[in-house]
Amino acid sequence: MSAAQNRRIRFSLVMLLLVGLQFYVRPRLGYPRVAPDFLMLGLMIFAIRSRPGAAALAGFIIGFASDALTPARFGAAMLANTLVGYTAAWGRAVFFADNLLVNAGFIALGVWLRDLLVLVASGTGGSELLVQLGVWSPVLALTTALAGVLVLAVFRDWLDIRLEE
Amino acid sequence: MLAPDRTFARRDTALFILCLVLSVGALFAPESWQYAIASSARSTALAPLIALQRRAEASRTSLARFELLVAQRDSAAAAAQSLPVLLDENSQLRALLGLRRRLTTRVVPAEVLHQSIPTDGRTLLLGSGRRDGVEPFQAVVAPEGLLGMILSTGPATSIVLTWAHPDFRASAVTLDGSVTGIVGVTPDATAREPMLELRGVPYRDSVAVGTPVITSGLGGVYPRGLPIGTVVGVARESEGWERVYLVRPLAAPARVSHVLVIPATTEWPSPAPPEPQP
Repeated sequence: MSAAQNRRIRFSLVMLLLVGLQFYVRPRLGYPRVAPDFLMLGLMIFAIRSRPGAAALAGFIIGFASDALTPARFGAAMLANTLVGYTAAWGRAVFFADNLLVNAGFIALGVWLRDLLVLVASGTGGSELLVQLGVWSPVLALTTALAGVLVLAVFRDWLDIRLEE
Repeated sequence: MLAPDRTFARRDTALFILCLVLSVGALFAPESWQYAIASSARSTALAPLIALQRRAEASRTSLARFELLVAQRDSAAAAAQSLPVLLDENSQLRALLGLRRRLTTRVVPAEVLHQSIPTDGRTLLLGSGRRDGVEPFQAVVAPEGLLGMILSTGPATSIVLTWAHPDFRASAVTLDGSVTGIVGVTPDATAREPMLELRGVPYRDSVAVGTPVITSGLGGVYPRGLPIGTVVGVARESEGWERVYLVRPLAAPARVSHVLVIPATTEWPSPAPPEPQP
């Protein structure tokens, strides 16, 4: 088996682990509004090491799954995740540093931006939008970023992401 | 011939635009298509993941549910001591009045499978579907009160439209039965948390702060007597025409973990009206 194939398999295993965490561990982590979003974390990690087109497609697929499970405004999560995936892959190419904290900030920003886009596309406005974006989304972004730091630190070799020592 | 980088960049852009077009198409597709696509995805590709989440929810709450069940069983055992006498008395009275037997209806318990996107709470995913007897337009109640109604069903899952959704409406009445109206979520979103409004109350009728509001049973979706919330004040009024009251809902869609799905034919035991003050 070639090294590239090996890397691909290891990367796929981490993505599968994140999907498992989302559906099996996340429900046990308490209040669902603030428990880390492992699917979003997977998308951001995928975007960090992929081309923008592939990241957009991954965002679209994750968004489709989210919309199928919460069809309050079908298509909002697809649109939001596509935009976040594409932007994240471009953003990484433009200003990304190989630093764990910058990676965490990048993940948090992605989660917050996704929430903003979903809420706007769903027609949420006024105080509800402000409370969601000012209170719940930052907490969710923070917990997801912390989970991201853990995953990146543990699987840095498997994920092929260069981090400063 | 194009350089490889440029070819990749074009492919990226094309893929991005395709995903964008599909997303916008989904956003503006007819509702029936949206629910059909979502339901198909839930019963095929997402079914193993939903089963995994259902198992996680069940094991998370199993100890608490066991303790609750033991407490409920003890209470039920104590209450059952006088049941034979009451049943006998009831059947004698019904025979005297010429009433038919009381209708028995099936209530379906279901687990709520919360998702991570911020619109979770306007609609909720339930771990029970058509196989368990859940049908569209059945009422859904949390332990605290009315949560919403079944919007669509799949074989093993269903979607609840909660009171926090802009499309939610329910015919309501105050607990003493004096004032009726329609409840729906506040449209102006000035409150920090989603609230309900009791609309269509005639100007001559006034409702005191703290009055409980329940479902009226009109409309054929929600049975009479489901607690909705309590009046917290006047939201706005049209001079000489109608008053709109602000109602604080009892059930919190973002926090609820277990619900009951009940058909509209059920007669829900409404709470006793408050004692009149001397």
